[in-house]
Amino acid sequence: MNIRPRFFIGAGLIILAIGYLIGNAMRTTSEYYLTVTEVAARQSELGAQALRVAGRVKPGTVNWDPNTLTLKFEIVPIPDLDAAGAPIKPVVATEPVSFRVVAAGEPKPDMFAPGRDVIVEGKLGAGGVITATQVLTSCASKYKPKQSQ
Amino acid sequence: MPQLGNLALAIALILAVYSIVANIYGMRRNAPDFVVSARHAIWSMCAMVTIAVVVLWVALLRSDFSLEYAASYSSSTLPTAYKITALWAGQQGSLLLWTWLLAIFTSVAAFQNRRRNPDTAPYALAVLAGVAIFFLWMLNFVTRPFDLLPAIPAEGSDLNPLLQNYWMAIHPPSLYIGYVSASVPFAFGAAALITGKLDDGWIRSTRRWAIFSWFFLTLGNLFGARWAYEVLGWGGYWAWDPVENAAFMPWLVMTAYLHSVMIQERKDMLKVWNLSLIGLAFGLTLFGTFITRSGVISSVHSFTQSGLGPYFLSFLIAVTVAYTALLIFRSKQLRSPAEFESYLSREAAFLFNNLILVGITFAVFWGTIFPVLSEAVRGVKITVGPPFFNRVNAPLALGLVFLTGIGPLIAWRRTTADNLVRSFAAPVAIGVATGIIGAACGLRQWYVLTAFSLAAFVMGTVLVEFRRGMNARRHLLAEPRAKALVNLVAKNNRRYGGYVIHVGVIVAFIGIVGSSFFRTEVKKSVHAGDSFTIGSYTLRFLGFSEVDTPHLASATARVEVLGPDGREITVMTPAKLFYIRAQQPATLVAIRSTPLNDLYVVLAGIDDSGQTATFEVFLTPLVFWLWAGGLLMVLGTVIVMWPNVRERAAIATVLSRSSSADRELADLAAPGGD
Repeated sequence: MNIRPRFFIGAGLIILAIGYLIGNAMRTTSEYYLTVTEVAARQSELGAQALRVAGRVKPGTVNWDPNTLTLKFEIVPIPDLDAAGAPIKPVVATEPVSFRVVAAGEPKPDMFAPGRDVIVEGKLGAGGVITATQVLTSCASKYKPKQSQ
Repeated sequence: MPQLGNLALAIALILAVYSIVANIYGMRRNAPDFVVSARHAIWSMCAMVTIAVVVLWVALLRSDFSLEYAASYSSSTLPTAYKITALWAGQQGSLLLWTWLLAIFTSVAAFQNRRRNPDTAPYALAVLAGVAIFFLWMLNFVTRPFDLLPAIPAEGSDLNPLLQNYWMAIHPPSLYIGYVSASVPFAFGAAALITGKLDDGWIRSTRRWAIFSWFFLTLGNLFGARWAYEVLGWGGYWAWDPVENAAFMPWLVMTAYLHSVMIQERKDMLKVWNLSLIGLAFGLTLFGTFITRSGVISSVHSFTQSGLGPYFLSFLIAVTVAYTALLIFRSKQLRSPAEFESYLSREAAFLFNNLILVGITFAVFWGTIFPVLSEAVRGVKITVGPPFFNRVNAPLALGLVFLTGIGPLIAWRRTTADNLVRSFAAPVAIGVATGIIGAACGLRQWYVLTAFSLAAFVMGTVLVEFRRGMNARRHLLAEPRAKALVNLVAKNNRRYGGYVIHVGVIVAFIGIVGSSFFRTEVKKSVHAGDSFTIGSYTLRFLGFSEVDTPHLASATARVEVLGPDGREITVMTPAKLFYIRAQQPATLVAIRSTPLNDLYVVLAGIDDSGQTATFEVFLTPLVFWLWAGGLLMVLGTVIVMWPNVRERAAIATVLSRSSSADRELADLAAPGGD
């Protein structure tokens, strides 16, 4: 009885099944991960596609209603940093892009604050408003205390 | 003081380099004195790294903010316990902790092997010293823990409030112990490849290390999950975040390794596979550090983005290339004469369990790095979230649970139909009965029904095994039931401890299935005195109490919980905290845990008037059993690792006498025996 080839069939079937599971799950669950600038550039083609958008909370735009758990704010691009950690000024002054974000029904994350970097999960709707299902904050382990204190 | 730390790290680096050179020179030139001096160099290196760790701890405890690290991760008002844990809050400290553990484990391995394995141990120690060189080089030249600030700040920036938590204090060290101790079996595997002594000596010499590593990886993952559950306030414990995945993948591979080495020990098969698995496990520990520290993959908690990525990637590639080259170089000698004989054998069950575990690892790896791949290939980052991981892993988990039941009971080599019926009739009946009862109770999700049936089936197999062993002792030694049970476990600890771990895994699996499928959630804004319901509970918001200290301010809500009969069960106190130094709010979740379900109350918002509070409440069934299963896994591992010298000696005597009854007893004690 030739056993070895039969084993490769069994192992091959398991590997195929795992491959199928991965491929199938990829098709149904993947979403774009874009920066605010990229969203602006691709706005027309995104449609109802699920998105994750990385951006920075624009100071002065945050509106939090603790009774309805509705968080509204605007996100702007995260500036590129040079080697020393200072923001690089764009050579050509461009129109600043920003999107309004409305997140309803979720508590405001503790780390959420104006000027912080966030990842917004949701869909881009009409009028450039992102309806968010979740707002994630990256938590820096290091704090820069405010200068004014 | 900081200069002392720098000096100690510099000397440690020199000693690590010396120990490699002396080990290899001593072996090549047959000069045992050099091998001895290399061992002493390793112990001295450990002493030097210890000095560096102590220096950093002293700086943290004395709030010496001239040190950049202390100023960044501590403050004078930080509680003492967290000043100690601040050692691993930042990147430099984490790497220092890693290096320290590596130095300690290398020293222990050097001590254990001062007379054992004279042909291979020096090479294994050289490999470990090579890993130490990488980390010491990082600490000396790339990310220095003892850098000073140009101006001494009056106060430190404080530790991230999320890290000011009990579980976060013990989660990173557990994980690091698990990561770093995996390098010992890896080093002995590499030494086997280097020297060409390719029998299972390297596996036997490092069996305890592998279990030790697995144990702490298990703890690290559980502590991390528990921390997420208690602190992050979203009601769950696992989000398939890249950082979590990085800790999960080595655990999966170590689990596969612990099973597949049994086949090599018993059947002299799968040599290449085992060497590859341990290489993969070690590589994944580096990969984990790479993705968490490099910022190439965005994570909810990528704590520090830094320039360390390229260094880790280079080291990872170098290790992978060298190790693969060794495997190819030795491939002819690694051929195994033995073959698989039948699908209905323990070898086959273990092989398929390995394939599934590695398959899950690959799926997790793929989902984790896919954003990077898709950006490189298609120019746009595409991410997959928890739905991807759940969809792939849920069916694979069922297969794994099924094999957990099959593997320990099925015979080596091949099994007969008669044998199958004898071993599996009762467990299958238990599993089917559970499915029918579940369906009768109104469970309709096919996945949940299958999962619970399979879990019951596995429990049945373990019961059968315990009964069989207990009866053998009762008949052969005329021991009473209880004594037979205790002796069975005590004297065959490796085997029956393994079963206890299996039970723990299954119990945790039940908790995961229950909490994933049946969680309910209610969000509500209420005035003081108002109430609302979730499940059979009624929650009444009584009001706030506020406390201010120099370190933090807090607002605590008091929530009265009433049971279905309207009687008060308890008062829960979810809170909002505000850390003064960090200018950072934090949420304190209130959890009431019972075996049936967890009531999880989050204070999501406080109205400006201070009269209205918004709560987010989760009712999560069975999540209790995830942690209970974790405890059982811990207990099982302790049983497995318990030293059992006398019994081994006794078995040796028994075997020399070799009566059939004695052999049956000895067979019970044999690792993975049947």
